[in-house]
Amino acid sequence: MLIRKEAVAILAKEIGNEPIISANGFMSRDLYETSEKDSNFYMIGSMGLASSIGLGVALKNPRRRVYVFDGDGNILMNLGSLVTIGALQPTNFIHCVFDNKSHESTGGQPTNSNKIDIAKIAKIANFKIFKISSKNQLKGIIPKTKKMPGPILILIQVEKGGPKSTRVEISPPNIKYRFMRSLERK
Amino acid sequence: MKEEIQRDLFNLLVKSGVESFIGVPDSTMKHFIDEGLKKNKILITTREEEAIGIATGMSLSGKKTLVFMQNAGFANSLSTITSLVQLYKIPMILLIGWRGYLKNDAPEHEKIGKVQPKLIKTLGLETKTLNEENWKKACWWALTRLKNEKLAGLIIRREFVD
Repeated sequence: MLIRKEAVAILAKEIGNEPIISANGFMSRDLYETSEKDSNFYMIGSMGLASSIGLGVALKNPRRRVYVFDGDGNILMNLGSLVTIGALQPTNFIHCVFDNKSHESTGGQPTNSNKIDIAKIAKIANFKIFKISSKNQLKGIIPKTKKMPGPILILIQVEKGGPKSTRVEISPPNIKYRFMRSLERK
Repeated sequence: MKEEIQRDLFNLLVKSGVESFIGVPDSTMKHFIDEGLKKNKILITTREEEAIGIATGMSLSGKKTLVFMQNAGFANSLSTITSLVQLYKIPMILLIGWRGYLKNDAPEHEKIGKVQPKLIKTLGLETKTLNEENWKKACWWALTRLKNEKLAGLIIRREFVD
Protein backbone atom coordinates (compact mmCIF):
# COMPACT_ATOMS: atom_id res chain seq x y z
CA MET A 1 0.00 0.00 0.00
CA LEU A 2 0.99 3.60 -0.51
CA ILE A 3 2.52 5.78 2.19
CA ARG A 4 0.76 9.15 2.31
CA LYS A 5 3.88 11.30 2.30
CA GLU A 6 5.23 9.50 -0.75
CA ALA A 7 1.86 9.66 -2.51
CA VAL A 8 1.62 13.42 -1.86
CA ALA A 9 5.09 13.94 -3.36
CA ILE A 10 4.32 11.87 -6.48
CA LEU A 11 1.04 13.67 -7.16
CA ALA A 12 2.44 17.16 -6.48
CA LYS A 13 5.30 16.51 -8.91
CA GLU A 14 2.87 15.54 -11.67
CA ILE A 15 0.71 18.60 -10.96
CA GLY A 16 3.65 20.99 -11.40
CA ASN A 17 2.77 24.66 -11.01
CA GLU A 18 -1.00 24.41 -10.93
CA PRO A 19 -2.60 25.51 -7.63
CA ILE A 20 -2.93 22.98 -4.80
CA ILE A 21 -5.06 23.68 -1.72
CA SER A 22 -4.07 21.28 1.06
CA ALA A 23 -6.07 20.29 4.13
CA ASN A 24 -4.89 21.00 7.67
CA GLY A 25 -2.83 18.57 9.69
CA PHE A 26 -0.41 16.06 8.21
CA MET A 27 -1.66 16.71 4.67
CA SER A 28 -0.28 20.25 4.54
CA ARG A 29 2.84 19.20 6.43
CA ASP A 30 3.59 16.45 3.91
CA LEU A 31 3.05 18.79 0.97
CA TYR A 32 5.25 21.45 2.57
CA GLU A 33 8.09 19.08 3.34
CA THR A 34 8.11 17.19 0.03
CA SER A 35 6.93 19.73 -2.55
CA GLU A 36 7.19 23.33 -1.28
CA LYS A 37 5.96 25.83 -3.90
CA ASP A 38 4.31 29.27 -4.01
CA SER A 39 1.31 27.69 -5.72
CA ASN A 40 0.52 25.60 -2.62
CA PHE A 41 -2.09 27.03 -0.28
CA TYR A 42 -1.49 25.35 3.08
CA MET A 43 -4.76 25.56 5.01
CA ILE A 44 -3.48 25.11 8.54
CA GLY A 45 -6.80 25.66 10.40
CA SER A 46 -10.50 25.56 9.43
CA MET A 47 -10.73 21.78 9.13
CA GLY A 48 -13.02 20.58 6.34
CA LEU A 49 -12.81 23.64 4.13
CA ALA A 50 -9.99 22.83 1.68
CA SER A 51 -12.49 21.73 -0.98
CA SER A 52 -14.55 24.90 -0.49
CA ILE A 53 -11.49 27.14 -0.86
CA GLY A 54 -10.52 25.10 -3.93
CA LEU A 55 -13.99 25.60 -5.39
CA GLY A 56 -13.70 29.38 -4.98
CA VAL A 57 -10.30 29.37 -6.71
CA ALA A 58 -11.60 27.10 -9.50
CA LEU A 59 -14.67 29.25 -10.20
CA LYS A 60 -12.57 32.41 -10.53
CA ASN A 61 -9.69 30.86 -12.49
CA PRO A 62 -11.28 28.89 -15.31
CA ARG A 63 -7.97 28.56 -17.17
CA ARG A 64 -6.22 26.78 -14.29
CA ARG A 65 -6.60 23.18 -13.13
CA VAL A 66 -7.23 23.48 -9.40
CA TYR A 67 -6.25 20.57 -7.14
CA VAL A 68 -7.39 19.95 -3.57
CA PHE A 69 -5.39 17.62 -1.33
CA ASP A 70 -7.89 16.41 1.24
CA GLY A 71 -8.09 13.70 3.86
CA ASP A 72 -11.00 11.38 4.65
CA GLY A 73 -11.60 13.04 8.04
CA ASN A 74 -11.54 16.45 6.40
CA ILE A 75 -14.06 15.79 3.65
CA LEU A 76 -16.35 13.94 6.06
CA MET A 77 -16.55 17.22 8.03
CA ASN A 78 -17.87 19.08 4.97
CA LEU A 79 -19.81 16.55 2.89
CA GLY A 80 -22.14 19.34 1.80
CA SER A 81 -19.22 20.64 -0.23
CA LEU A 82 -19.50 17.62 -2.55
CA VAL A 83 -23.13 18.55 -3.21
CA THR A 84 -22.31 22.20 -3.94
CA ILE A 85 -19.39 21.27 -6.23
CA GLY A 86 -21.37 18.50 -7.92
CA ALA A 87 -24.23 20.92 -8.60
CA LEU A 88 -21.95 23.63 -10.02
CA GLN A 89 -19.83 21.20 -12.12
CA PRO A 90 -16.60 23.23 -12.26
CA THR A 91 -14.69 21.55 -15.10
CA ASN A 92 -11.28 22.57 -13.67
CA PHE A 93 -11.73 21.10 -10.17
CA ILE A 94 -9.84 17.97 -9.12
CA HIS A 95 -10.37 16.64 -5.62
CA CYS A 96 -7.63 14.28 -4.42
CA VAL A 97 -8.67 12.49 -1.23
CA PHE A 98 -5.93 10.60 0.61
CA ASP A 99 -7.88 8.01 2.55
CA ASN A 100 -6.17 6.35 5.51
CA LYS A 101 -9.51 5.76 7.26
CA SER A 102 -8.38 7.70 10.28
CA HIS A 103 -7.82 11.08 11.89
CA GLU A 104 -4.10 10.52 11.88
CA SER A 105 -3.09 14.07 12.87
CA THR A 106 -4.91 13.73 16.18
CA GLY A 107 -3.63 10.26 17.09
CA GLY A 108 -5.09 7.85 14.54
CA GLN A 109 -8.69 7.65 15.71
CA PRO A 110 -10.91 5.88 13.14
CA THR A 111 -13.18 7.68 10.66
CA ASN A 112 -16.12 5.92 9.06
CA SER A 113 -14.60 5.82 5.58
CA ASN A 114 -13.86 2.10 6.17
CA LYS A 115 -17.63 1.50 6.23
CA ILE A 116 -18.95 4.17 3.87
CA ASP A 117 -17.19 4.63 0.53
CA ILE A 118 -16.38 8.32 -0.10
CA ALA A 119 -16.08 7.61 -3.84
CA LYS A 120 -19.67 6.38 -3.95
CA ILE A 121 -20.90 9.55 -2.25
CA ALA A 122 -18.95 11.67 -4.75
CA LYS A 123 -20.27 9.61 -7.67
CA ILE A 124 -23.85 10.33 -6.62
CA ALA A 125 -22.85 14.01 -6.47
CA ASN A 126 -21.87 13.78 -10.17
CA PHE A 127 -18.09 13.67 -9.84
CA LYS A 128 -16.01 11.50 -12.15
CA ILE A 129 -14.35 8.91 -9.93
CA PHE A 130 -10.90 7.30 -9.94
CA LYS A 131 -9.63 4.92 -7.27
CA ILE A 132 -5.91 4.54 -6.76
CA SER A 133 -4.11 1.91 -4.72
CA SER A 134 -0.68 1.52 -6.33
CA LYS A 135 2.29 3.72 -7.17
CA ASN A 136 1.97 3.07 -10.90
CA GLN A 137 -1.70 4.06 -10.97
CA LEU A 138 -0.85 7.17 -8.99
CA LYS A 139 1.92 8.24 -11.39
CA GLY A 140 -0.42 7.92 -14.35
CA ILE A 141 -3.54 9.57 -12.98
CA ILE A 142 -2.66 13.26 -13.53
CA PRO A 143 -1.65 12.84 -17.21
CA LYS A 144 -4.67 10.57 -17.72
CA THR A 145 -7.15 13.13 -16.39
CA LYS A 146 -5.42 16.28 -17.68
CA LYS A 147 -7.82 16.89 -20.59
CA MET A 148 -10.87 15.48 -18.83
CA PRO A 149 -13.57 17.92 -17.67
CA GLY A 150 -14.18 17.89 -13.90
CA PRO A 151 -15.28 17.76 -11.26
CA ILE A 152 -13.08 14.72 -10.67
CA LEU A 153 -12.50 12.91 -7.39
CA ILE A 154 -9.38 10.78 -7.07
CA LEU A 155 -9.55 8.53 -4.02
CA ILE A 156 -6.11 7.35 -3.00
CA GLN A 157 -5.93 4.47 -0.53
CA VAL A 158 -2.98 5.13 1.77
CA GLU A 159 -1.54 3.37 4.75
CA LYS A 160 -1.92 4.70 8.24
CA GLY A 161 1.39 5.79 9.72
CA GLY A 162 4.65 6.58 7.97
CA PRO A 163 7.22 9.33 8.44
CA LYS A 164 6.06 12.49 10.21
CA SER A 165 6.63 15.84 8.50
CA THR A 166 7.48 19.19 10.08
CA ARG A 167 5.06 22.06 10.60
CA VAL A 168 4.52 24.60 7.86
CA GLU A 169 6.91 27.40 8.76
CA ILE A 170 5.53 30.16 6.54
CA SER A 171 3.23 32.73 8.14
CA PRO A 172 -0.41 32.45 7.02
CA PRO A 173 -0.56 35.96 5.45
CA ASN A 174 2.60 35.06 3.54
CA ILE A 175 1.08 31.76 2.35
CA LYS A 176 -1.79 33.89 1.04
CA TYR A 177 0.34 36.49 -0.78
CA ARG A 178 2.59 33.90 -2.43
CA PHE A 179 -0.41 31.90 -3.56
CA MET A 180 -2.14 35.01 -4.97
CA ARG A 181 0.97 35.99 -6.91
CA SER A 182 1.29 32.47 -8.30
CA LEU A 183 -2.28 32.68 -9.64
CA GLU A 184 -1.51 35.96 -11.38
CA ARG A 185 1.59 34.58 -13.10
CA LYS A 186 -0.05 32.51 -15.80
CA MET B 1 -35.14 46.88 6.52
CA LYS B 2 -37.58 47.83 3.73
CA GLU B 3 -37.69 45.76 0.56
CA GLU B 4 -36.66 48.66 -1.64
CA ILE B 5 -33.58 49.45 0.44
CA GLN B 6 -32.53 45.80 0.56
CA ARG B 7 -32.64 45.70 -3.26
CA ASP B 8 -30.76 49.02 -3.51
CA LEU B 9 -28.17 47.71 -1.09
CA PHE B 10 -27.54 44.70 -3.30
CA ASN B 11 -27.28 46.82 -6.44
CA LEU B 12 -24.94 49.33 -4.84
CA LEU B 13 -22.56 46.52 -3.83
CA VAL B 14 -22.64 45.02 -7.34
CA LYS B 15 -22.03 48.39 -8.93
CA SER B 16 -19.05 48.83 -6.60
CA GLY B 17 -17.41 45.65 -7.85
CA VAL B 18 -18.58 42.94 -5.47
CA GLU B 19 -18.72 39.93 -7.81
CA SER B 20 -20.04 37.05 -5.76
CA PHE B 21 -22.54 36.71 -2.93
CA ILE B 22 -22.33 33.39 -1.12
CA GLY B 23 -24.18 32.11 1.90
CA VAL B 24 -27.11 30.53 3.66
CA PRO B 25 -30.44 32.38 3.41
CA ASP B 26 -31.98 34.49 6.14
CA SER B 27 -35.53 35.83 5.93
CA THR B 28 -34.28 39.06 7.53
CA MET B 29 -32.58 39.88 4.20
CA LYS B 30 -34.76 37.90 1.80
CA HIS B 31 -35.23 40.82 -0.64
CA PHE B 32 -31.46 41.37 -0.77
CA ILE B 33 -31.01 37.69 -1.66
CA ASP B 34 -33.92 37.75 -4.09
CA GLU B 35 -32.36 40.66 -5.97
CA GLY B 36 -29.14 38.66 -6.23
CA LEU B 37 -30.93 35.52 -7.42
CA LYS B 38 -32.63 37.53 -10.16
CA LYS B 39 -29.24 38.81 -11.28
CA ASN B 40 -27.67 35.35 -11.05
CA LYS B 41 -25.03 36.40 -8.55
CA ILE B 42 -25.99 34.27 -5.55
CA LEU B 43 -24.43 30.98 -4.53
CA ILE B 44 -26.34 29.12 -1.81
CA THR B 45 -24.22 26.75 0.25
CA THR B 46 -25.03 23.97 2.69
CA ARG B 47 -23.42 25.70 5.69
CA GLU B 48 -21.99 29.10 6.51
CA GLU B 49 -18.43 27.82 6.98
CA GLU B 50 -18.57 26.40 3.48
CA ALA B 51 -19.63 29.82 2.18
CA ILE B 52 -16.68 31.47 3.93
CA GLY B 53 -14.35 28.84 2.45
CA ILE B 54 -15.60 29.50 -1.10
CA ALA B 55 -15.39 33.27 -0.57
CA THR B 56 -11.81 32.79 0.65
CA GLY B 57 -10.91 31.00 -2.59
CA MET B 58 -12.43 33.83 -4.59
CA SER B 59 -10.69 36.45 -2.48
CA LEU B 60 -7.38 34.63 -3.10
CA SER B 61 -8.17 35.12 -6.79
CA GLY B 62 -8.36 38.89 -6.26
CA LYS B 63 -12.17 39.11 -6.36
CA LYS B 64 -14.47 41.06 -4.04
CA THR B 65 -16.90 38.76 -2.24
CA LEU B 66 -19.66 38.94 0.33
CA VAL B 67 -20.88 36.14 2.61
CA PHE B 68 -24.42 36.34 4.02
CA MET B 69 -25.84 34.41 6.95
CA GLN B 70 -28.11 34.49 9.99
CA ASN B 71 -26.51 34.99 13.36
CA ALA B 72 -27.10 31.27 14.05
CA GLY B 73 -24.70 30.73 11.14
CA PHE B 74 -22.34 33.33 12.53
CA ALA B 75 -22.13 31.19 15.66
CA ASN B 76 -21.40 28.16 13.46
CA SER B 77 -18.60 30.07 11.78
CA LEU B 78 -16.54 31.25 14.76
CA SER B 79 -13.66 28.83 14.22
CA THR B 80 -13.59 29.52 10.48
CA ILE B 81 -13.43 33.26 11.12
CA THR B 82 -10.58 32.93 13.62
CA SER B 83 -8.53 30.13 12.00
CA LEU B 84 -8.99 31.11 8.35
CA VAL B 85 -10.30 34.64 7.70
CA GLN B 86 -8.50 36.44 10.53
CA LEU B 87 -5.42 34.20 10.55
CA TYR B 88 -4.67 34.68 6.82
CA LYS B 89 -6.10 38.23 6.71
CA ILE B 90 -8.65 37.42 4.01
CA PRO B 91 -10.69 40.43 2.91
CA MET B 92 -14.45 39.90 2.55
CA ILE B 93 -17.75 41.39 3.68
CA LEU B 94 -19.83 39.40 6.17
CA LEU B 95 -23.51 40.36 6.08
CA ILE B 96 -25.11 38.97 9.23
CA GLY B 97 -28.84 38.96 10.04
CA TRP B 98 -29.55 39.81 13.66
CA ARG B 99 -32.29 37.49 14.83
CA GLY B 100 -33.23 37.92 18.46
CA TYR B 101 -32.82 41.68 18.19
CA LEU B 102 -36.47 42.05 19.17
CA LYS B 103 -37.31 40.63 22.58
CA ASN B 104 -40.32 38.71 21.21
CA ASP B 105 -38.45 36.93 18.38
CA ALA B 106 -38.63 33.11 18.33
CA PRO B 107 -37.03 31.41 21.37
CA GLU B 108 -34.21 29.73 19.41
CA HIS B 109 -32.85 33.17 18.48
CA GLU B 110 -33.05 34.73 21.92
CA LYS B 111 -29.68 33.76 23.37
CA ILE B 112 -27.56 34.29 20.25
CA GLY B 113 -29.35 37.60 19.61
CA LYS B 114 -28.39 38.72 23.07
CA VAL B 115 -24.72 37.70 22.98
CA GLN B 116 -24.05 38.65 19.35
CA PRO B 117 -22.65 42.17 20.04
CA LYS B 118 -20.35 40.72 22.71
CA LEU B 119 -19.19 37.92 20.41
CA ILE B 120 -18.38 40.42 17.67
CA LYS B 121 -16.43 42.53 20.12
CA THR B 122 -14.55 39.56 21.59
CA LEU B 123 -13.53 38.40 18.11
CA GLY B 124 -12.33 41.91 17.28
CA LEU B 125 -14.57 42.17 14.21
CA GLU B 126 -15.20 45.63 12.83
CA THR B 127 -18.91 45.99 12.02
CA LYS B 128 -21.61 48.55 11.26
CA THR B 129 -25.30 47.98 11.94
CA LEU B 130 -27.37 49.02 8.95
CA ASN B 131 -30.45 51.22 9.12
CA GLU B 132 -32.50 53.11 6.59
CA GLU B 133 -30.46 56.29 7.02
CA ASN B 134 -26.88 55.02 7.22
CA TRP B 135 -26.88 52.05 4.82
CA LYS B 136 -25.07 53.79 1.95
CA LYS B 137 -22.41 55.18 4.22
CA ALA B 138 -22.00 51.79 5.91
CA CYS B 139 -21.60 50.19 2.48
CA TRP B 140 -18.85 52.64 1.49
CA TRP B 141 -17.14 51.93 4.79
CA ALA B 142 -17.22 48.16 4.10
CA LEU B 143 -16.00 48.63 0.52
CA THR B 144 -13.11 50.80 1.71
CA ARG B 145 -12.14 48.07 4.15
CA LEU B 146 -12.19 45.53 1.31
CA LYS B 147 -9.97 47.78 -0.75
CA ASN B 148 -7.54 47.92 2.18
CA GLU B 149 -7.63 44.10 2.33
CA LYS B 150 -9.62 43.97 5.54
CA LEU B 151 -12.63 42.08 6.80
CA ALA B 152 -15.85 44.08 7.30
CA GLY B 153 -19.10 43.09 8.98
CA LEU B 154 -22.51 44.54 8.16
CA ILE B 155 -25.40 43.69 10.47
CA ILE B 156 -29.08 43.73 9.47
CA ARG B 157 -31.50 43.80 12.40
CA ARG B 158 -34.62 41.66 12.36
CA GLU B 159 -37.21 44.34 12.99
CA PHE B 160 -40.35 42.28 12.50
CA VAL B 161 -41.85 39.09 13.88
CA ASP B 162 -43.72 36.61 11.71
